Amino acid sequence: MPNIENPTATTLSALGVTTAAAIADHFAAIRSRFDAESASIHDESGWKILRDAWLGRKSGVLAQITDNWLKPAPADLKRSAGAGLNELRAHVESQIESRRQAIESGADQSALAHDHIDLSLPGVERPTGSHHLVRQVFEQIEDIFVSIGFSVVEGPEIETPYYNFEALNIPEFHPVRDDMDTFYLDLPKGASTPLLLRTHTSPMQIRTMEKRKPPVRVIVPGKVYRRDNPDATHSFIFHQVEGLAVDADITFCDFTGTIEYFVKQFFGHGVKTRFRPSYFPFTEPSVEFDVSCIFCGGSGTSAAGGTCSKCKGAGWIELFGAGMVDPAVYGFVNYDAKKVSGFAFGMGIDRLAMLKYQIDDIQVFFQNDVRFLRQFP
Amino acid sequence: MKVIYKWLQEFVDVTASPADVASRLALSGTNIGSVENGPHGAVIDAEVGSNRPDCLAHYGIARELGAVYKLPLKPISSRPAEGTAKAAEAIKVEIQSPELCGRFTARVIRGAKIQPSPKWLKDRLEASGVASISNAVDISNYVMLELGHPLHTYDYDKVRDHQIGVRRAKAGEKIRTLDGLERTLDSSLSVVYDGDRSRAVGIAGIMGGADTEISFSTKNILIECAWFEPIAVRKAARSLKLHTEASTRFGRGVDPETAELASRRAAELILELAGGELLEGVVDVYPGKRAPKKIQLTRAEFLRVMGADVPDREIEAILSALGFAPVRVGENRGAQGSLLAAWECTQPSWRAEVEREIDLIEEVARIYGLDKFPPRLPAARQGAERLAKFEPELRVRERLIGLGYREILTIPHVAEERDALFRPEGVTRARLANPLSEEASILRSNGLVTMAAALEWNLNHGQRNVRLFEIGRSYRLLGSTSLETPILTIGATGEAREKGIYDTARQYEFADLKGDLDAIGALAGGFQWQEGGAAWTHAARRGTVHLGRSNPAPHSAALGVAGQLARRVADKFKLRQDVFLAEMELDSLYEEIRREKEARRYEPLPRFPAVERDFSLLLADGTAFSDVVKTIRSLRIGEITSIEAADLFRGKNVPPGKYSLLVRVTFQSREATLTDRQTSDFSLKIVSALEEQLGARLRAS
Repeated sequence: MPNIENPTATTLSALGVTTAAAIADHFAAIRSRFDAESASIHDESGWKILRDAWLGRKSGVLAQITDNWLKPAPADLKRSAGAGLNELRAHVESQIESRRQAIESGADQSALAHDHIDLSLPGVERPTGSHHLVRQVFEQIEDIFVSIGFSVVEGPEIETPYYNFEALNIPEFHPVRDDMDTFYLDLPKGASTPLLLRTHTSPMQIRTMEKRKPPVRVIVPGKVYRRDNPDATHSFIFHQVEGLAVDADITFCDFTGTIEYFVKQFFGHGVKTRFRPSYFPFTEPSVEFDVSCIFCGGSGTSAAGGTCSKCKGAGWIELFGAGMVDPAVYGFVNYDAKKVSGFAFGMGIDRLAMLKYQIDDIQVFFQNDVRFLRQFP
Repeated sequence: MKVIYKWLQEFVDVTASPADVASRLALSGTNIGSVENGPHGAVIDAEVGSNRPDCLAHYGIARELGAVYKLPLKPISSRPAEGTAKAAEAIKVEIQSPELCGRFTARVIRGAKIQPSPKWLKDRLEASGVASISNAVDISNYVMLELGHPLHTYDYDKVRDHQIGVRRAKAGEKIRTLDGLERTLDSSLSVVYDGDRSRAVGIAGIMGGADTEISFSTKNILIECAWFEPIAVRKAARSLKLHTEASTRFGRGVDPETAELASRRAAELILELAGGELLEGVVDVYPGKRAPKKIQLTRAEFLRVMGADVPDREIEAILSALGFAPVRVGENRGAQGSLLAAWECTQPSWRAEVEREIDLIEEVARIYGLDKFPPRLPAARQGAERLAKFEPELRVRERLIGLGYREILTIPHVAEERDALFRPEGVTRARLANPLSEEASILRSNGLVTMAAALEWNLNHGQRNVRLFEIGRSYRLLGSTSLETPILTIGATGEAREKGIYDTARQYEFADLKGDLDAIGALAGGFQWQEGGAAWTHAARRGTVHLGRSNPAPHSAALGVAGQLARRVADKFKLRQDVFLAEMELDSLYEEIRREKEARRYEPLPRFPAVERDFSLLLADGTAFSDVVKTIRSLRIGEITSIEAADLFRGKNVPPGKYSLLVRVTFQSREATLTDRQTSDFSLKIVSALEEQLGARLRAS
């Protein structure tokens, strides 16, 4: 075999090659040289040098072979030179590509250690914010009710006694007012109407019906206030979602069906539900709505074996009050109680969130400690 | 109300366990607090609703059980032996205020022996949570717990002239009640008086007086069982802060028809336990007697409200058990299950709150069982609408969260002196008439006051790098009406970037706040900033925010204000770190975000390359970047696509009174690639304009 420093820099005839067999020998030598070089590179920079040395457009080995061996080759040798070149090119290209993949994927065990990132180190941490948990629950509830045709409306937190009480069939000196300790505003002398902080989102039932004719389907998210001394389960501010549906043919069965749909969407399909008769001046029949205790699965027994502390062994947890709109309420909004019927409910959001996420102190919602906020991104 | 299981069994032959009884009561409308097995057997704690005074009695609960378990309710028939002397000759009764007292009955027992009660009576009272005093007094309490009607017993001999009556109290009139306290009355309530009407011997429906109290030396007893108007009793109990078993029952409305029976039952028990002779008859003044009301129930209405049916015999059994005496009426009264079926019912005297057809529907449904009405999801008839602000609020919230702010919700009740620190001039605060404390007596007039408190909380709990925002409302008064304004409040303190492997630490500064607000402004087509700010701001680090693409007119209303908290204010909150706050009104911001979104149109991407040129300028302090921009813009070179401040420094190599600003101008043409000559030409014009108009010097770079 001829031993020339750089055989591809010269022509075949200068190399003294006259037979196809000699051409094959030369290609074989070139190929082994490539394989040796290819095996000796382990990183991206070496790979680039290799690629340019062999595939470079102007002075790469393959370009040289084309220019120096193939083009000037005599007609009888052109065919075998071409075949040899094609075979070599296919080998070089595929090897170079597979070397690149090997280096990039890091599969190459000999890659240098300092090129490796330490995966256990954190990435760049940019400050990220978070949604307040109560707002997340609001959004989830809104989404569920919007999906079954309820529009969202909002109303004032500072209300008149008319909307908060009278029009909801709670006249002055009604005993129910004793259960809803109310904040009143200190108004200038001579103010014609007292103002109060709404004790429930129900005033928006009235405001909505005053503005719209049936069919009505709305929910009302918002803040409400009751003059309770704060502790782990009481806050003088909390959040409610009111619901109201009035139409020509809404029945108690539609009411329970809607509530059940909501609760199964919110707590999951495994939850059991029940309606207990109750009393509110603005609904009749009125109910309290219970779900099977989500802590003990409704068994009344805690995992440790004792009485479930959340439902006190009852197996049920009271969620919220609701009912069919009392016909007296329609009288305040000029609806014909003989022609329409409907239902209303008012659920406490803080309570739902506390149950679902097992929060034992309502005050954390309002302290805004970032260690709490961070837990519910 | 403590319900003693064995006591119920005296009126209804219930055999179900106490737990089952409690559960069935709960599912038929009597809320149950607990069931306890004590020394007196099972005691069910019933949380009776304010609409059901009839259930503040064992007999009332027994009636409910009778309906639920389909068991007959046993009648109470007390027939105490009477003497020959007539009660009417022993006691005179008159009612001067029939609007407050609808009935007053009196019985007299002579020669009774007052002594401690026997064990069975003491036990029942103890289980009910009522203190035992003496046999006569205990009996009046016992009958109240049994029948729901409060009674009062007097020492007959202390009732002057053996004459008793009811009148309105005189304003300022005083009485010493059984609890030994002297109480001052007003004319909205009524009193029981004796003799010449001058002395009050009891506050009607609430508590008796000490002067005529039964004692162990009492021989002769006067039993009062009356009916007092509920609202007046409730008002009186509230204004006197005197809530008693009697006032609770009268306040919710007791059954006037039961008064005579309860009196007879008490007399029977007194004869049994204290002996003596009952005078013949009862003195019964009953100006408030009403004819029972008739109420109709139709199946059509039942179906319209409930959506599912109940068989005729169930309807009739339930209403009968509850005392409504249903009678099928109408032409089709023979037809079982007819859709036209109607029943005429009679309101029982103990159910004054049942007046309408819907009330009867509820009665039937609750006893029949609410679980028997199959739930179904009704079809929606119209599209559901989100709030108009839904999308802009979502965009603002998501953007702030992306920028690293955490959403908070605060309590708007704050202290006056704190609110005043942030309250804009001319704003009237909304003060509560009945706050829980002075620290929570004002509804915040702005969101900054509660934001500062949230930062304070976190700093006090070791959280030093905090970024928060709140979407809420401010509360103010306009004359005697209220004004609630939706606002966005932002607060930040500590490091904008914490030291880590890849970065150095950097404090949060005004520029962070401005940049983050401008990121929100980008949703609304951009904010304009102006010098100025509120009283709470640091005078050198603040600005007002305005909507719109061009500079706002002088004194135009700002959308909001942003700034560093003045040290003077920060000290009040003991905030040692620099704190940055901003607040803006949301209604107009949301409006602008919506408008901007609707107006936004695609701008074709430029096809020719852009060229950047940097100008390193030496400017006099007081010359603003906006002056530079204005000067360059005034050249009206259409190819300028942006003018940016790329770097700024003072100090080394910069003479005092000056600062160095690196301004980067980008040129781009929509028609062709700019030539070097064109850009050099633009640059020369820019430099000479800045030199001439602003006295700027180009620094060698």
